[in-house]
Amino acid sequence: MSYIEVNNLKKDFVVKKKREKGKLLRERDTVHALKEVSFSVDKGELVGYIGPNGAGKSTTVKILSGILTPDGGEVSVGGLVPYKERRAHVKNIGVVFGQRSQLWWDVPIVDSYNLLKDIYRIPQGDYEARLKELAQALQLEELMRTPLRLLSLGQRMRAELCGSLLHRPELLFLDEPTIGLDAVSKLSLREFLKWENEEYGTTIMLTTHDMEDIAALCSRVMVLGHGQKLFDGKLPDLLERFDTVRNVQVKFDVPNPNLKLPDGVEWSQSEDGIELSYEPSVLPTAQLLSILQEAGNISELTLQPENTDHLIAAMYKELDL
Amino acid sequence: MNTLRLYFKSIGMLLRSHLQYPSSFIMQTIAQLVMEGGEMLAVILIVDRFNNLKGWSGGDLYFFFGMMSVSFYLTEMFGRGITGDFPMMVRTGKLDTFLVRPRGVLTQVLCAGTDPRRITCVAVGVAALIMGSNLSDIVWTPLKALVLVESIAMSCLLILGLFMIEAIFSIFSVKSVELVNAITYGGRSACQYPIDVYPLPLRALFTVIAPFALTLHVPASWILDKPLYGWPAWTAFVTPLSGVLVFGIMTGVFHLGMRHYRSTGS
Repeated sequence: MSYIEVNNLKKDFVVKKKREKGKLLRERDTVHALKEVSFSVDKGELVGYIGPNGAGKSTTVKILSGILTPDGGEVSVGGLVPYKERRAHVKNIGVVFGQRSQLWWDVPIVDSYNLLKDIYRIPQGDYEARLKELAQALQLEELMRTPLRLLSLGQRMRAELCGSLLHRPELLFLDEPTIGLDAVSKLSLREFLKWENEEYGTTIMLTTHDMEDIAALCSRVMVLGHGQKLFDGKLPDLLERFDTVRNVQVKFDVPNPNLKLPDGVEWSQSEDGIELSYEPSVLPTAQLLSILQEAGNISELTLQPENTDHLIAAMYKELDL
Repeated sequence: MNTLRLYFKSIGMLLRSHLQYPSSFIMQTIAQLVMEGGEMLAVILIVDRFNNLKGWSGGDLYFFFGMMSVSFYLTEMFGRGITGDFPMMVRTGKLDTFLVRPRGVLTQVLCAGTDPRRITCVAVGVAALIMGSNLSDIVWTPLKALVLVESIAMSCLLILGLFMIEAIFSIFSVKSVELVNAITYGGRSACQYPIDVYPLPLRALFTVIAPFALTLHVPASWILDKPLYGWPAWTAFVTPLSGVLVFGIMTGVFHLGMRHYRSTGS
């Protein structure tokens, strides 16, 4: 049995609609946040969990961390059912919500850690060693006496991470950890997560909208949409499935080249030249190049695959999300 | 023991948070004093005008008022998580962060809120208690002191239990403030006077549904040597326990409600 086992997980939410004129009661609508999602995760895996807003990512994380009770299906994490054995379960997990803080706003962050030590009943010696280690890895040593409200967004995220790892959880949930961070903060955060994962074998599951996070960290990616699992595998495999379009920018010496492009190639002309996109499976690249050369002398040409954000957008579109 | 230590450590930390904004803290504390002083003044005016109310002397009235103020504001001071902040904790998702920690939800809610500004209100209550005790010539015995402590503790639990009704509603994101305020704040305003000055329906409300009469008036009138309804002495010891009963029931309902908690946002 794997570390995390999820079978046919279901969760519905009842939404009250606006009351229609002339009706006494408001109508209710059931939203299926999750419909029969199944997956398993092994210990030490680093899994990215992606999908558009409202796909059910957070709902899954909330069920796995014991906040919500599912409406159907089975969940077990390390042999425990999160929503039934909440206290025993949450001892082994750490959760970082991108948008809400777990630390105390107005006091120095070290005071928050001190209180977390009591909440998790961490032995004093163990606590001191772990705090020292995390402070070093997350570059928090200088900030220990600073109240949380005075920290920058990047510093705050590092402080939150430290708080959620003090009790040495086996499993770490990260809900959009890099949201709003600058490039440097993002990079150092990713580096830290990799280190924690390799050093302690901590299983990490993160939801994100940032494809770079996935590319840099996750050996495995799961795509969720409309409450269903749509893909589960390696990132390169996912990209291959949707990486179909190539973009070309081309500039000619002559002002009005005699360009005859076959159907299926989209193009537009601007002052910088011509931009076109094509699918190599439909029109081989070599053929396109010869068409371009026939049109006139090429002065500049760049060819690039679509970036990952576009790919994901295309994928969501294709999967009708 | 560990839980109690955690509670006091948390409260200490919140106190330090409050003191990060000293001028605001002092101003609000003084505002509280003016507010509760005004309430006390109303009682003083009644005593001045009528001398006695259905057989209760001025000193008795101060004593009842003091019991209620001390109980109510101690509860607001130490139970702020339930009496004030809980709906906000649900809305902002703070409750989610409690659920991912290996401690009871109610413990953490109580650890997350304190209202130290209420200290002046408690002080007014203590002053009223001393005034009442002197004017009514209460002869203090160890038993009477015990009943006083029991009565205040049980009233605190009762008030906490009543405020939990509001908390339970807000788990389901239902706004219920007005309805619940009728028995919490309404209960405080009504029951700072002896219960037998009221007509039967109100007496029934505050004996059966929100039993302030049992946690507060029965023991207080026994301390004043004027037992309510002429009830025997043992009732002064037993009836206040209804406070812990209400609290227990509400705790049960609260945990039942938490099973249907829906959480908010991402």
